Amino acid sequence: MTQRVVVTGLGPVSSIGTGAADFAAALRAGRSGISRITGFDPTGFPHQHGGEVCGFDPAAWLQRISTAKWGRSSQFAATAGRLAAEDAKLDLERIDRSRAHAVIGTTSGESVVVEALTAQIVADGFGAMSPDLLAQLPAGRLAHAVSEELGLHGESVTLATACSASNYAIGYAYDLLATGEADVVLAGGADSVCRWAHAGFYRLGALTATACSPFDRDRSGILTGEGGAVLVLETLEHATSRGAYAYAEMLGYGVNCDATHPVAPDRATIAECMRIAHRNAGVDPSEVDYICAHGTGTPANDLVEAQAVIEVFGERPPPVSSIKSMIGHTMGAASGFGAIASVIAIEQGFLPPTVNWVHPDPQIPQIDPVPNQARPATVRVVQNNGFAFGGNNAIVMLGSPR
Amino acid sequence: MSGYHERYEQLREIIAEVLEVEPHELTDTGDFAEEYDADSLRAIEIVARIDKQFKVEIPQSELPELRNLKTTYDAVARHAGWQD
Amino acid sequence: MSLRITGRAAISSAGDHRGALAERLAAIGSDRHPGIPAGPVAAEPLPSGGMHAFPGLDIRQRLGRRGTSFYDRATGLAVVACGDALADAGLAVDDENRHRIGVVLATTLGSFKSTSDYTRDTLTNEKPYLVNPVLFPNTVMNCAAGQSAIRHRLKGVNATLAGGPLAFFNAVRYADNAIRRGYADIMLVGAVEEFSAHRAWATAIEAAGDGIGAGDGAAVFVLTGGDGGPAVRAVATGYGPGGSGAAALTGCVRRVLAAAGVSAAEVTLLATTELGRREGTESGRPPRPSVTVRTSSP
Repeated sequence: MTQRVVVTGLGPVSSIGTGAADFAAALRAGRSGISRITGFDPTGFPHQHGGEVCGFDPAAWLQRISTAKWGRSSQFAATAGRLAAEDAKLDLERIDRSRAHAVIGTTSGESVVVEALTAQIVADGFGAMSPDLLAQLPAGRLAHAVSEELGLHGESVTLATACSASNYAIGYAYDLLATGEADVVLAGGADSVCRWAHAGFYRLGALTATACSPFDRDRSGILTGEGGAVLVLETLEHATSRGAYAYAEMLGYGVNCDATHPVAPDRATIAECMRIAHRNAGVDPSEVDYICAHGTGTPANDLVEAQAVIEVFGERPPPVSSIKSMIGHTMGAASGFGAIASVIAIEQGFLPPTVNWVHPDPQIPQIDPVPNQARPATVRVVQNNGFAFGGNNAIVMLGSPR
Repeated sequence: MSGYHERYEQLREIIAEVLEVEPHELTDTGDFAEEYDADSLRAIEIVARIDKQFKVEIPQSELPELRNLKTTYDAVARHAGWQD
Repeated sequence: MSLRITGRAAISSAGDHRGALAERLAAIGSDRHPGIPAGPVAAEPLPSGGMHAFPGLDIRQRLGRRGTSFYDRATGLAVVACGDALADAGLAVDDENRHRIGVVLATTLGSFKSTSDYTRDTLTNEKPYLVNPVLFPNTVMNCAAGQSAIRHRLKGVNATLAGGPLAFFNAVRYADNAIRRGYADIMLVGAVEEFSAHRAWATAIEAAGDGIGAGDGAAVFVLTGGDGGPAVRAVATGYGPGGSGAAALTGCVRRVLAAAGVSAAEVTLLATTELGRREGTESGRPPRPSVTVRTSSP
């Protein structure tokens, strides 16, 4: 028998706000979290802006893990997990810890640690690598940080499926709950701003200067961003038994793989992924009120994504907005922030805007990107898109709690 | 003194390596995308290697012109001011 | 329902032909293999001591040049092993089934070398952004699984799990879920780690004393739902926070026995991957609470 799955806690650590209330207020206000990069020295790069979590102070939130022993991405994951657990009012002393799991998605894992070690290699050779930094290197530690911080004994799994990784994590969490393997799962993603991704996206011609403008005619690329985005998912039964408030219900998800090109998205496969997600969630396209887009702001992604939406939804698709216009591309955390924004849209009754939007794109006139201002709306069903290098597509369907 | 022929063959080698074919397989007018599966990443890398080898900067806006070995050579020669 | 194993492939320092690993194990008995000089595999200086690399891997010979010369070693190992596993299973991929065949690969952090070298180029190049765009996909941890899907045209569930020594078990568990939930019919499930100077040095610096040099290899199984023949009966993993590894492991063993529907007395072999390191602590070292159950009959 399949369990129903609900979202009971939100833990965003983002460039526009930490905690559900701040993040929701920033989405409603259409605030930008973009600033000049300080995480690495951007001197020499033509573009120097990104979506950093300025003034991130993990020690203010973390109770069990020491910031000296964990890399930045793990700290984002653990802090987001702690915030989500508090938001869910989850009494960790009273849950069955062996049925509580952590599933965290990422693109680049502990990229800041890789870069610190590389600086040591460049300066003094391989033998100079610090054992303390090497101990922080494995990407699996992102999920372990959440398990360690919250004392969870269940699976502690890091899904490294690049920029759709949070949706993969939320999807796997849903299955663990739906099949009765778990009572509670902390699921989402984390990543940190780093030199190599900034350089790589610039080199691909996919990085913009200061303002990311998805679905705009003149969009010119992404801004790299960072943060941690974790949700508490639990079975409806478990949530009800402890009197928890359910923000939303998780309806299902779909994943598939382009298998065509490591970088270029494939319209037909993405459209098929939408159909798989709808089928698995038991949702008809006509029921979808809002699409929280992957919407990176590159010419290629937004065109392909919009065309896939039109293929599946017809000439009058639901509004499609991109929160990457506000927080940049947070890589493995991106679809986690998208999921949190989707839940907030359902709970608070508004559509997050696509900011920096000026010109309609004549190639995709059917797309309503909710330009620049949040819009009040009754949101019952949301489709949260996540696509990635490697052709890893993942789409999560969320609905209002019944 | 590097003449036309030498520069042309150097370019053939550079491009062949990026397109993962042997130099003799890369014909003068074979289309990079159609015949050698080139994508935008490879086009950018070809431009980067031209920059490194010949100290010639080809603007990103001219990427579409670099369709085959011959048109690429013409673009490089134009920017380098080679009088062949 | 179990997960039937219908094909398998392994590439390791023992070789890349079917049976190479078994032959090596039989040959060395309970001895520890001293490793080999791994010079041919890495261009950079290496720490002293034997390494467990496989210099015989020739990606171009196995896969051809086209589409492969910018692979990093991890990607090459994975793509070759996936192809070998498909061949071992006698599985022909076509337009009818490719949407229902997926790949899930396990790793520690993808290619440490690819990410570190890319960063190095941003530090040492005259202009920090003059990095090679063709190599950028190698810096992403899902590169090996994504390229395996491209090479073998597999459009089903495709995932990468990062979890160090435990990651393969997480991958089997992920594939088990994908098949049981009806998302895929067949899953290629594997693990890959490349030999590189980066890993060799990391292993030498970190392991301090246990003396096992860095290894190299990929192992891939082809799994599908159903009973009969060699099969995975159940998989469970867990985590022991704050030094509670023993309690977490006990819970993990109970869960996997229950899921497999067997009693402890029915288990004929218990294989551990314990390397003799200290128990996981707040440092976050994984306590490896992972158990496979092998029984003699279904």
